[in-house]
Amino acid sequence: MSGCEHAVEYVYSYIDEELTFTRRTRISMHLRRCGQCCDAFEFERALKARIAASGKSEPPAELFDQLRALIQQEQHTESPD
Amino acid sequence: MADQANFEQDAMQFAPQLYSAALRMTRNPADAEDVVQETFLKAFRAYDSFEEGTNLKAWLYRILTNTYINKYRKAQRRPSEVELGELQDMYLFKRLGEQSGATDSAESEALDMFVDEDIIAAIESLPENFRLPVLYADVEGFSYKEIAEILDVPIGTVMSRLHRGRKALQRKLWNQAVEHGLVEPSE
Repeated sequence: MSGCEHAVEYVYSYIDEELTFTRRTRISMHLRRCGQCCDAFEFERALKARIAASGKSEPPAELFDQLRALIQQEQHTESPD
Repeated sequence: MADQANFEQDAMQFAPQLYSAALRMTRNPADAEDVVQETFLKAFRAYDSFEEGTNLKAWLYRILTNTYINKYRKAQRRPSEVELGELQDMYLFKRLGEQSGATDSAESEALDMFVDEDIIAAIESLPENFRLPVLYADVEGFSYKEIAEILDVPIGTVMSRLHRGRKALQRKLWNQAVEHGLVEPSE
């Protein structure tokens, strides 16, 4: 298997920081030598960051009050005294 | 064991994230609120079984996931593995690289053409088996081990669904970009 194929196979585990030290080091060394893989990894990392930034939505303002009310109500039903 | 009296103080900080995840799951604000409320109620009732010092965030997400699945999955049980079809590695990177005139700018910069709604639509387009791992890894930043615990599946399953889900998401982003006329369709 070529260095590029090996790197591509582990791209997600690499950007997710889920690789063993040995495998991570081997791929880091390849990235230093291979511009194409380096760009591809950079792209996958940028896309992950973009998904993280865009994928979050703000809750409605009343959510906290609703949840507090729900818990308080539950507390009262559990201990009626 | 955790004290129920501390539940609100301990758990409330995670409410916004849980709501956001619930919205990506249900794709609907009213349903997302329902799922989060039910999650908090269940978590509160079970809080004395939560082991203090362990991962509260993951514990809450596990309850959220089960609540969502019990409420909504029944309607849409389908073989989603087949549905995704063949998926190429680095799909979006390769397509962007093929664009004429794209040679002088980095593919990462091309991500700027997508607005938040495009990204959200692509996440929400994924079949549920793939959407949840992508959501938990990319948006929530959970480790594979945490996702395995939340979804109650082996780590290998998390990895394969996450990796396939990401490729499918890239294909969806590309198809959306073609539909919006942002890129030239490939051969």
